[in-house]
Amino acid sequence: MNRNNFLPHIALALVLILVAAFAGQLRRWQIQMKNRARIFPAADKRRGPINNIDAAPYDTHDSSAPEVLVKFKPGVTEDAIEKITLGLHDRVEDEIESVPGLAAIDDLDDASAESVAAQYRSLPDVEYAEAVFEISADDASASSVTPRDPRFSEQWALSNDGSRGGTKGADISATKAWSVTTGSDKVVVAVLDSGVDYTHSDLASNIWVRPNSVKPYEDKELGTIQDLHGYNAIENSADPMDENGHGTHCAGIIGAEGGNDIGIAGVNWKVQIMPLKFMNAGGYGTTKDAVEAINYVIDRKKAGVNVRVISASWGSTQKSRALEDVIRKAYEAGILFVAASGNASTNNDRNPHYPSSYNIPNVISVAALDRNDQLASFSNYGVKSVAIAAPGVDILSTWLGDEYEEKSGTSMATPVVAGVAALVAAHDPKITVDELRTRLLSSVDPLNSLKGKIASGGRINAAKAVQ
Amino acid sequence: MTKEEASEKARKDLANRLGLNESQVAEQSVVDTDFPDMALGAGSAGEMSGQMITRGWKIQLEAGGKTFEYRADKNQVRAYKFNGKNYKI
Repeated sequence: MNRNNFLPHIALALVLILVAAFAGQLRRWQIQMKNRARIFPAADKRRGPINNIDAAPYDTHDSSAPEVLVKFKPGVTEDAIEKITLGLHDRVEDEIESVPGLAAIDDLDDASAESVAAQYRSLPDVEYAEAVFEISADDASASSVTPRDPRFSEQWALSNDGSRGGTKGADISATKAWSVTTGSDKVVVAVLDSGVDYTHSDLASNIWVRPNSVKPYEDKELGTIQDLHGYNAIENSADPMDENGHGTHCAGIIGAEGGNDIGIAGVNWKVQIMPLKFMNAGGYGTTKDAVEAINYVIDRKKAGVNVRVISASWGSTQKSRALEDVIRKAYEAGILFVAASGNASTNNDRNPHYPSSYNIPNVISVAALDRNDQLASFSNYGVKSVAIAAPGVDILSTWLGDEYEEKSGTSMATPVVAGVAALVAAHDPKITVDELRTRLLSSVDPLNSLKGKIASGGRINAAKAVQ
Repeated sequence: MTKEEASEKARKDLANRLGLNESQVAEQSVVDTDFPDMALGAGSAGEMSGQMITRGWKIQLEAGGKTFEYRADKNQVRAYKFNGKNYKI
């Protein structure tokens, strides 16, 4: 190169540099304009990828899939956020309007979501930043249903959030089960107890009513009973109104109406509860009246009522052959019999508790758990004679006078299992009583606290049972 | 039934069972207690009870130099293991 050509070459080089610089800036401006149009779009939240040539160098991502959620501190303006994101070669894909300062941000550099989140977390204007993760169909938050009953948050047995000293997740996974079924008004559960307050506003819709197609109950010796809502074996009458509260509590656990903006949700939002009264205002009754009430249930089943489960939250250490025989007849009629294991803190293998210890294929003996998945201090157990465990301490349910109370006992654990049995029957109407029992016992969450204590070694899991 | 009424009922029952005057039966203690079931852990023959923890009172009475236990709640009073048997009263 000679001196005469030097200046033109320099000038040409400067022009080329300026052209290149201008072209680069032009492209940056174009990207900025595109990004400006994408910042906090009000309506277009699902844009396709940037697909023009100018954006090509950065176009390695699907703009509909932001990698990070960033919450900027209060006072950080939209312009400031724009500068921050552009400075990091990112763009705001969407503003989350309900949370001021929260934005979904798309990285344009093909970096990992975690590293992008870490980059934002290091900035002084950022309150927090987290990588976006996919939620699969198996994820609890994606496949769970929460009822709007106002006291549902107190029902740790159904959904334990860890409050009041509990363990999060120590529950029967009811919200997951409800994504499959919330029950059916075609399934009848007999609550064999102190009766049920069938006028309770959280139960009334789920109380069994004898259909016109089924004749009133007739007993050769006792006569005809116009059984509209069940049976009272103490008085041999058609009125099973609860005078104690125990039966009403058990009924609410099985089937307090769900999603009705009142009180609580039962394991079944929809079900038919057949109230049976054989225990008096004191909460005790005779084996003779228990036998009469089970006899009534079998009769109704044979008359066409779809009774699938008897819930029996009672017992004693006295064996009754008559009671055993009538429970066996219930088995032959295809009715599951769920019974409390007892509250004496003793081993039923050595000191049986009846009816839960009868060796009949439809009987399921139920132990009680506390809100930390520990066997309740009062609960009976027995690796041979107690089948399954369920929450039974501080259980909130319906009570007399349109009220709600927390109660404890294997009495409360029993209707949890009876309720899950009804859910299964709602989802799988043709399931046999043997299959139903097997299904429940094979659907447990194994617990260390129950190893060597009960036959299944686990807590009932409603979500597994209805799969 | 109140705690006081339950204790009075228990004293009368024990006096009757022992053939004594009520004045010869003394109340030792009345303690709030959680019983294992609705028969207050004192079920009698041919009886089934709700398996719910039940709040009530353990009543200790003294007569003739011996101690006797009664169990009660708002609905009932029971003699606990009187000569080896439970009784609803």
